[in-house]
Amino acid sequence: MRDIILKKLKKSINGQAIIPEVNLRIPAGKFFALLGPSGCGKTTLLRLIAGLETADAGQILLGDNDFSKTPIHERPINIVFQNYALFPHLNVFENVAYSLKLKKIPKKIIEQKIFKILEAFHLETHVYKMVSQLSGGQQQRVALARAIMNAPEVLLLDEPLAALDFKLREKMLLELIELQDELKTTFIYVTHDQFEALTVADQMAIMNHNGEIEQIGTPKQIYEFPHSSFVARFVGTTNILNGTLHDLDSDPKIDVPGLGMLKCYFSKKADWMVEGCTAIMSLRPEKIFISKKEAKNFTNQIKGVVHSIVYHGRSTQYNVIVGDNIKLQIFEQNEEHFPQEVIDYDDEVFLYWQRENGVLLEK
Amino acid sequence: MRASLKSEKPFAIGLPALVWQALFFYLPLALVFVSSFIRLSNEGKFQGFTLSHIATFLNLIYFKVIGASLLLALSNALLCFLVAFPLAYFLAFIAKGARNILLFLLIVPFWTNFLLHVYAWFYVLERHGIVNTLLQKIGLIETPIHFLNSTFATMIMMVYYYLPFMVLPIFSALESFNFSLIEASLDLGASWNSTFRRILLPLTRKGIIAGFFLVFIPSFGEFAIPELMGGERHAFVGTVVSQYILGEGTGSLGSAFTLLSALCLIAAAMLLYRLINFLLIPRMRRG
Amino acid sequence: MVREGKVARAGALLVTAFTYLFLYVPIIVLLVFSFNSERFPSPWTQFSLKWYKELLHSEDLWQSFRNSLVVAGSATLISLVSGICLIFYASQGGRIKRFLGMFYGNLLIPETVLAVSMLTLFATLKIPLGITTLILAHTVLGLGFVIPIVYARYRELDPHLTEASLDLGATPIQSFFKVTLPMLRPTMITTSLLVFIISFDDFILSYFVAGSSAQTLSLYILSMIRSGVSPVVNALSSILLVLSSLLVFIYFSFQTRVRIVP
Repeated sequence: MRDIILKKLKKSINGQAIIPEVNLRIPAGKFFALLGPSGCGKTTLLRLIAGLETADAGQILLGDNDFSKTPIHERPINIVFQNYALFPHLNVFENVAYSLKLKKIPKKIIEQKIFKILEAFHLETHVYKMVSQLSGGQQQRVALARAIMNAPEVLLLDEPLAALDFKLREKMLLELIELQDELKTTFIYVTHDQFEALTVADQMAIMNHNGEIEQIGTPKQIYEFPHSSFVARFVGTTNILNGTLHDLDSDPKIDVPGLGMLKCYFSKKADWMVEGCTAIMSLRPEKIFISKKEAKNFTNQIKGVVHSIVYHGRSTQYNVIVGDNIKLQIFEQNEEHFPQEVIDYDDEVFLYWQRENGVLLEK
Repeated sequence: MRASLKSEKPFAIGLPALVWQALFFYLPLALVFVSSFIRLSNEGKFQGFTLSHIATFLNLIYFKVIGASLLLALSNALLCFLVAFPLAYFLAFIAKGARNILLFLLIVPFWTNFLLHVYAWFYVLERHGIVNTLLQKIGLIETPIHFLNSTFATMIMMVYYYLPFMVLPIFSALESFNFSLIEASLDLGASWNSTFRRILLPLTRKGIIAGFFLVFIPSFGEFAIPELMGGERHAFVGTVVSQYILGEGTGSLGSAFTLLSALCLIAAAMLLYRLINFLLIPRMRRG
Repeated sequence: MVREGKVARAGALLVTAFTYLFLYVPIIVLLVFSFNSERFPSPWTQFSLKWYKELLHSEDLWQSFRNSLVVAGSATLISLVSGICLIFYASQGGRIKRFLGMFYGNLLIPETVLAVSMLTLFATLKIPLGITTLILAHTVLGLGFVIPIVYARYRELDPHLTEASLDLGATPIQSFFKVTLPMLRPTMITTSLLVFIISFDDFILSYFVAGSSAQTLSLYILSMIRSGVSPVVNALSSILLVLSSLLVFIYFSFQTRVRIVP
C-alpha cells in the first residue's frame, strides 16, 4: 500500500494554466476527497493521476516509484468516469470481466469472480443484460464493479454520483464508504458537492478556481477551522466579518465597525498577526443562537432586527441585520414542534455565541 | 479530451487509402490536365507542349455543348428542388408515422439499377406503351404521342434519377430542424409565407445547397439519359468527351475538352452557390 | 400541431403522392408485364413465367452479373479495409484531419470526368481495360463514401470508452479492436451496402473503363435496351428490384436513426 505523492505538478491546456502547481500527499488506504467548484481543474488532476493526460511538469509517485511516464494501461490505478463509460456493445458480465479477459484468466475463474462481485453489488439479476437496459444507479454500480475487478491500488472516482437523484445519492455514499472500508484501497473522490465530500472523506483537499489547493485536512478540520474565506464559504455557509485585530496575546478581539469588539479565536499565531492589522472572522450560522431574550454566559452578544426567515424543514434560517447594515445568517434547528419562543419578521433579537466559534481566517 | 497516446505512430498502416486516392484519383486528374497541353506523335512520343488542343474547342459550337450541359444540369436541379422540398417537408413534419416506410420506398428505386428505370420509362412512354394506349382508350388522343426522343422524356428521366439526391439532404436538414422556431414565428404574428421565407429556408440552407450540388454537378456530366431518352438531338459534354476519349488518337482532345468543361462547371457552381446564398439569406443580415 | 396553412399542407401531400406514383408506376407496369406471355406491345394475354426462364438460361446475363458482383464486392472490400486502416492510424494518435479533404472530391466531380481521367491513366500506363481497371475505378468511388462517413462516425464516439478500455489494462491496439471497431460496426455495414450498390449499379465509370472484354450488368442491360424492348428485361428488373428491396431493408435495420449518411 503506497501513498500517492504529487510533486510540483503543472498542467496547461491551450495556454491556460489549469493546474499552476500542485503538491499533495494522499495517504494510502484512505478515502480522500478533492473538493472544488466546477471547472477548477480537479477532474484534470484526476486524469493526470490516471494517466489520461500528461503533465507539463512535475511527478506522480506511488511510494518511491515515479509513474509520470507510465502509460495508462500499465498503472495500477483505475478510474470510474462521470458518465460511467460502460461499453454499450457488451453486457454487464462482459463489461465487468473486461480487464480479467485481457489477462487471459481461465473462464471458470472469471465466472466465479464476476458472480461474486455482482452479488456484492446486488446485480445478480442483471448479469446478461445490456447496459442500456439498466437504471442510472445500476449502471453506476457496474462501473464501480468493473473498476474494482482489476484490484487496483488506487481507485479514482470522477463525480460518480452526479447523475443520480438525491435519495439514491445518499444511499450510494454510504455504500461507497463501506466498500472502501472493506477493500482498504485508496479512494480519490472528486466532487463539487461539499456534502458528499464531508460525508465520505477521511481526508480532503479544497481546490479553488485557479487550480490551487487551499487547504488539506480532515472534514472536521476544514469545516471548523477554514484557512481562507474561500474555504469557509465553499464548504458550508458562513458569515464573514471584517475588522481589525487587537490584544492578540491576551484576549484576541476583532473590532468590527458598527458591532464593536467581538472576542474571537485562532488556533495558531501566524506571522501576519500584529496589533491593529486587518483580519477576517468566519462565524458559522449554526453556531449562533438567536432569542428575543438576553442571554448570560456567552462571550459575544449583539443586537439586531430580523430581516427575513426561511424555513428549511430541519432548520430555520434567520437573516438578521446588525450594526452598520451587516446581514448575518443564523441556522436554528427545529427541535420542537411547538417552540417556546416564536421569532417573527422585524423582531428585535439578541444573537450570541461562544468565542471559539468565531474563527480567524488566514490571509 | 482524447488521451494522448504516445505510441509509435504506424504511419504505414494508414497509407493504403491515401496512396490509392493519390494514385487513382489525383494522378489521373493531373494526367488529364497535363495531356490537354501535350502534343504526341502518332507513335505516342512526346513532342512538346501546345495550346492547340484547347484552342480547338474555343469555338461557339463547343461552347453551345457546354451551355447545353449547364442548362440541363440547372433545370434538372431546379425541378428536383421544386419536387423535393415539399416531399422532404412532408416526410419530416407531416407523415411522422409512415416516415420509415416512405423513406424505404424512396430509397428502393434509388438502389435499383438506373438503366432499368430508363427501360421502365421507355416501356411506359413508348408509342405502343401504357400511357399512349390509355390515352387512346379514353379517347383523349387519336394517334400516339411521341413522348420519347424528346426533351420532355429526358427531363422526366433526369428528375426520376436525381430526385433522391435532392430529397435526402433536405430531409436530413429538416429532420434536425427545431420546429419550435416556426411556432415562435407564427406566434409573433408572421404569416406562414413569411415564416417560410425568413425562417425555414435560411436555416435549411446547408441541406438545400448540398442537394443542389449533389444534383447539379453530376447532371452536368450526364449523357446516357439524354442519349437514350432524348434521341441524338443534342450533344452534351459527356457525348463529346466520350467520342474523343474512346476514339483513336484523339485522347488529348478528349482531355482538353474535359478540362475546359470542368473549368466552366466550377465557375458555374460557384455562381450557383452565391446565387442560392443570396436568395436564401435574409436581407436584413446582408450589407 | 402546426398551423402551416391548409393550402401548404395539401400542396405537400399532393406533391408527395404524385412523386411516389411517378416513382412506382413504371416499375409496377414493368413488373406486371414481366409475367405476360406475349411480347410487347401486346396487351395482357395470360400469366407466364417464360421470360424468367429465358432470363435464367442466358449465359451472357450470368456472366455480367458475376462480373458486377466481383467488381462491387472487391471495391467494397478494398475501400472498407483501407478505410479501417486509416481510422486505426487515427486512433493511435495519427493526425489525418488534413488528409480528409482529399477524399471529398470523389463525390463532387462528375463521374464522366472521373471516368475520363482514369481512362487516361490506364492508357498512359498501358494497363489493359477489364475487371481489374473496373475494380480500381470503383474503389475510388467507394473510398469517397467510406472515408468521410466512417470517420465522421468515429469522431462521434464517446472518447471515454477508449479511455476506460486503456484504464482497465488494454493496450491502445487492443482497445481499437475490442471497443472502437465493434462500435463502428453498424456504420461499416451500412456504408458497405451503400458502396456495394453504387458500384453494382454504376454505369458511367463502367462504360469508360471496362473496355471490350468485361461487361457489367449495367452494360449488359444497356445492350439489351439498345436492341429494343424485351420482356426478358422486365423479368430482370423485377428480380433486381426484389434484391434491392432486400438490401434496403437490411440497411434500414442497421440504422439507429435515419440520416442521409449512415
